[in-house]
Order: sequence, then structure tokens, then C-alpha cells
Amino acid sequence: MRKLPILLSLAVALVAGAALVGCQKGQDTIKIGLAAVQSGSDAQIGATMLYGSQIAIDEWNARGGVLGKQIETISLDDEGNAQKANTVAHNLVDDGVVAVLGHLNSNCTIPASIVYNEGKVLQITPGSTNPKYTEQGFPDAFRICGRDDQQGPVAGKFMHDVLKLNKIAILHNKTAYGEGLATEVKKTFESLGGQVTMFQGIGKDESDFSANISVIEGSGAEGFFWGGMYDQGGPLLVKMRQTGVNLPFVTGDGCFAQPFIDTIGANAANVYLSFGKDYHQNPAAQLFLKSYNDKYHQDVGAYSVYGYDAANVLLTAIAQAQSTDADKVAAVMKSRSFDTILGKIEFDAKGDVKGSGFVMWTIKDGKFEPLPDSP
Amino acid sequence: MSSGSTLTEILINGVSRGSVYALVALGYTMVYGVLGMINFAHGEVFMIGMFACVYAMGVFSVAWGDHVALNLGLGILVAMIFSAGYGYANERIAYRRLRKAHVLAPLTSAIGISTFLQYFIFLTVSKEKVNFPRYYSDLLTSHHIHLAGVDITYLQLAIFGLTLVIMGALYFLINHTRLGIALRATAQDQLMAGLVGIPVDKIIAFTFILGSALAAVAGVMVAMYTNVLVFDAGYRVGLKAFTAAILGGIGNVPGAVLGAMILGLTEALTTLAFGSEWDDVTTFAMLMLVLLLRPRGLLGERVADKV
Repeated sequence: MRKLPILLSLAVALVAGAALVGCQKGQDTIKIGLAAVQSGSDAQIGATMLYGSQIAIDEWNARGGVLGKQIETISLDDEGNAQKANTVAHNLVDDGVVAVLGHLNSNCTIPASIVYNEGKVLQITPGSTNPKYTEQGFPDAFRICGRDDQQGPVAGKFMHDVLKLNKIAILHNKTAYGEGLATEVKKTFESLGGQVTMFQGIGKDESDFSANISVIEGSGAEGFFWGGMYDQGGPLLVKMRQTGVNLPFVTGDGCFAQPFIDTIGANAANVYLSFGKDYHQNPAAQLFLKSYNDKYHQDVGAYSVYGYDAANVLLTAIAQAQSTDADKVAAVMKSRSFDTILGKIEFDAKGDVKGSGFVMWTIKDGKFEPLPDSP
Repeated sequence: MSSGSTLTEILINGVSRGSVYALVALGYTMVYGVLGMINFAHGEVFMIGMFACVYAMGVFSVAWGDHVALNLGLGILVAMIFSAGYGYANERIAYRRLRKAHVLAPLTSAIGISTFLQYFIFLTVSKEKVNFPRYYSDLLTSHHIHLAGVDITYLQLAIFGLTLVIMGALYFLINHTRLGIALRATAQDQLMAGLVGIPVDKIIAFTFILGSALAAVAGVMVAMYTNVLVFDAGYRVGLKAFTAAILGGIGNVPGAVLGAMILGLTEALTTLAFGSEWDDVTTFAMLMLVLLLRPRGLLGERVADKV
């Protein structure tokens, strides 16, 4: 083994070199972590959300970066899995990121936020709606979308007041997001005098819904709410319609994705979703949509624009704070308003967006469309 | 809708789900019967059958148009050949050399192959869920027969019928044919079987090929039933099917079907009575109870009589 000494010395040189580079790199770029589910069943929403952030960061870099430095992104995949999210969070903190844009799934965002809080890393989630995230009292945790205790009431009120339903059945996917949202819908619907005839959970990996559908049908429900993601929501809806159950199908932002429409195909009638306001009227959106299309050659995902806005808010705040220190940036974020594609936004003391508005959407001609008479 | 017909529906759902588990459980039980090992990669062979069928149907519809029955039939055939190939390769590569090793060696190898195949499909074929083309499944899912106040789709009937036919055919094959005698002889003592002129390697390879081809048919049926193909589908259904095989007495063909039916019905009734979140609790509580009372499963026999 004459090659061994050579290999060894090479390895030593590499490690030493990497250490040197590691030291220097911290000096001339600002690192930002992009973390979300990028593989598996929720990949479409997660990856497209990060693409949105990447576009904003590219724009800043083209303008000369922030604080006179270029911005470097580190994009990691949490696979929609809480343990993996924890590992990703530790990796990002170890890599010396100054802030993280992510994650998507609430069951990833919440455990990861604990790691970021300990590492003094600022976090903005563009897409996690579970209230618990900002209720933990972390000073540097922000969310740019709405919360399930805002979303659930909108969906619940819509089912009671607009669809005029008195009895509904609810099924959720037993995750922080799905069960959280389903519980909020139940609370609202019952407080309005309605009756929830079934409230059940089903495993996130389950794909046989026939027994649940029989129970829904037998419970005498007049409408149905699904608290979960599109990968189960689509086949569930198809199965319901195949079984001849034509109840109104109401769900939340987890199904607000093109694959949902593709899966349900001709079964798009009588389907309603709660999601943020329509931003396509905003002129600033056109520019974003165009650069997104040019770069990724596909349409935006549900949370792409949230990813874009989150990155812009973060970098604007860093520029104004003249620092990447999490507390200083957070102080700026809570002190002013930001003009974004989603409109003028302000953060409250918890890190949530003030008065974020969910509206009801439906599906028309293979596209999501906001309902005009939504409350 | 009255609660009476809800119960009937639930029972039918339970039997359908049980039939799905049974189709996979038969593969587990066959290999165990002959080799005394759990082929954990069986679920993956089932999943590969799903994908092979859908991709083959895509190719056929490009080649000569959308002939539903023809393409579906050929798709299933391709899936069977593909899965049989994978099953044979698994045996040849991962198990044959370990046949005389410690019992844990082939078991570990099986778990390794299972993980390898899952992530191989994940990385090369699809990271996301793929929808089964409804153009093909509508043939079976949109037609019903009306029975006892509820609708039963042709697909549910087909899955249930297929389960019974395969169970019967396997039972006949094992107990009433020359091949069956060779299988049973191999199961009892490989060395002795070899000495009396039974080609042990071929018999074992045949077991894998047959089991894998059956898994492919099951895969296509399940893909039609759930509308979804995903890289870990085999793992999920496989775990339940394995449980069913244990419940019924692993190594026993009618036992696998009985165990699967009980499992499917328990899950469906749990959904009705307590909610689907209690599925796993009731299922495994029942498994423990059965194993405490009958350690070899419901129809389990003495080890010497297995197959």
C-alpha cells in the first residue's frame, strides 16, 4: 500500500483547506438557510415555496447583496419528517446561517424552531399555519402566512353560513397541521350551532379510505371537511365521488396545489378550499410570476409568493438593522410595515402577521379561483 | 341512510381490505412455508408490480391506442413478468448463498433488499405519489352490483374473487400435485429432498417466482383500489400482510387468508366504532391476544407440517 501515505497527506491537506475556507467564507458572504420538504408526498408545495425565496435572494444578489456582501443559500430537504427537520436545523445552525426561511409542514417547523431559538438564528416560515409555532414565545420566530385559528374559523363559518350546513363530518391526517386545522373548524362550526357528526383521524400514509367514507355517509353529515394535504385529499375526494357520496368537500391550504386539481380531474365540482387572498391583481406579482417562470419553467406553487415575500422582508430588515444579529433584525421586523406582493404587512409581538385574511376558493376550469361571496 | 346499511358497507369494506392484505400475505406465507424465512422484500416486489403495470400501459397506449381491456390485461402480464424477475433475482442474489447460514443472516439480507428496492424506485422512478390512470380503473370501479342495500364495485368483487381463486389454486398445488409433493419435501428437509432427486434450487426459485407474480397481480389491484402508486406502498401493505400471515399461522395458506380477513374487518369495524385513529391499537391488541392463546396463529400447525 504505497499509496496510503499520499492519500493520507491529501486527506490532511483537504481537511486543513476546508477549515481555512470555512473560516474565510464566513467573512464575505451572508448565509441563509432554505429548509422545507423537497421530496416525498408534499414536495410540490415545499420545493416551490423555496424557489420563491431563491428568486428574491437572486434579485438582491443582482443588486449587490445585503450589507455589501453576497447572499449564499443553503437549501436542505426535511422530507416532511420531524426528526429529519431537527437534523436539518442543527446542520444549518452549524453551517453558520444568519436566518432560515422555512419549513413548510408544521410538524417540522415547530421542532426545528426550538433548535433555531437555541442557536440564535432568526426564522420565518412562509407556510406553516399551526398556531403553536409562534405561541412558544421565541423572540426571533416569524410567520408570514396566516394561522389555523384564523383559517379554521373562515372554513367553518363558510360551511355554516354560506353552504348552510347543519351537520358536518371531519377527517384529519393526525399531524400538527391537519389535526390542528380540523379542531379549529370543529370549534367554529359547533359555536355557530352546527353539529359535527364525525371527527376522526387517519394515518398520513393510509390510502384506503373506504371504511371512513362509509362512516361519513352513515353519520348523516351534509358536508365534509378534510384536514390534511393534497396527496391524500385528492384520492379521498375521488373515492368519495366514486362511492356516490356527493357532499360538499371543504379543505384548507394543504390541498391548495396543482397536483390536487390534477388528481381529482372531473370531480372538481362542490370543492372549496380556504387559502390566503388572491394576489394576482397586484402589479408587482406579474414581475415575480414572470421571473419564476423564466427560471423554473413551471407555474408557481401555493406558497411560492410567501417564500418570495419572506425573503424580501428578511433582507430588508437586515439592511435596515445594519446587522445580521437575530435580535436586532427581529426588532426591525416588529417595528415597521413591509410592502410585499401580498400587500402591506406588519408583524405583531408574537411574530404573526397582523390581520392576515383567509378567503374561500373553489376550482373552476382546472384552476383555483377565489369565491366572490366569501365571508 | 340507516345504520344497518352502514354496518353492511363497513363489513364489505373490511372484506375488501382483507382481500388486499390476503393477496400479499399469501406470498409471505408461501416463502415461509418452504424456506422458513420471512421474505421482507415481498412488499417491494408487490410495489414494483404496480409501477411496471402503469408504465407498461403507458407504452401500450402510445403504441396502439387506448384499448382498455387489452392494455390492462397486457399491463398485468408485464407486471407479473417484471415482478417475477425481481423475485427470482432476490432469491438468487440475496438469499441462496445464505440458505445454510444462521437464521438471522437471510432475515437481515431481506430487510436490506427491501430498503434497497424502496429507495431504488424512489430515486429512479418516482419520488412522489403517482395516480393510477383512472381511464383504466373506471372499467372496474364505476360499475356496481346492488346487494343487501349497498353498492359493491366490480373491483371489490374482483379482488375478493381473485383472493379465493389464488388461495384455492395454491392449496391444490401444494396438496394434490407432484410439484406440491416436491415443495413439501423441500420444506421438510432440503438435503433429503435433494438426495431423492428433487431439484431443490429450482423448487425454491419457483416458489419465489410464483409468489412474486401473485404479488404483481395484487399490486395492480391495490393500485386500482386506492388510485395511488408510491414507493413505500409495499412496505405499508407488507407490514399489515405480514401481521395477517402471523395471525392466521404463518406457512399456512388458508390461514393467511383467514388472518387477512380478520385484520381487514377489525380495521373497518374499529373505524365505525372508535374512529380510524384506533386502527393500529385494536389490530395489534388482537394479534397479541391470538398469539397468547395460540402461539402458532389461528390455523398454525406443528412446524414439521408447514407449507
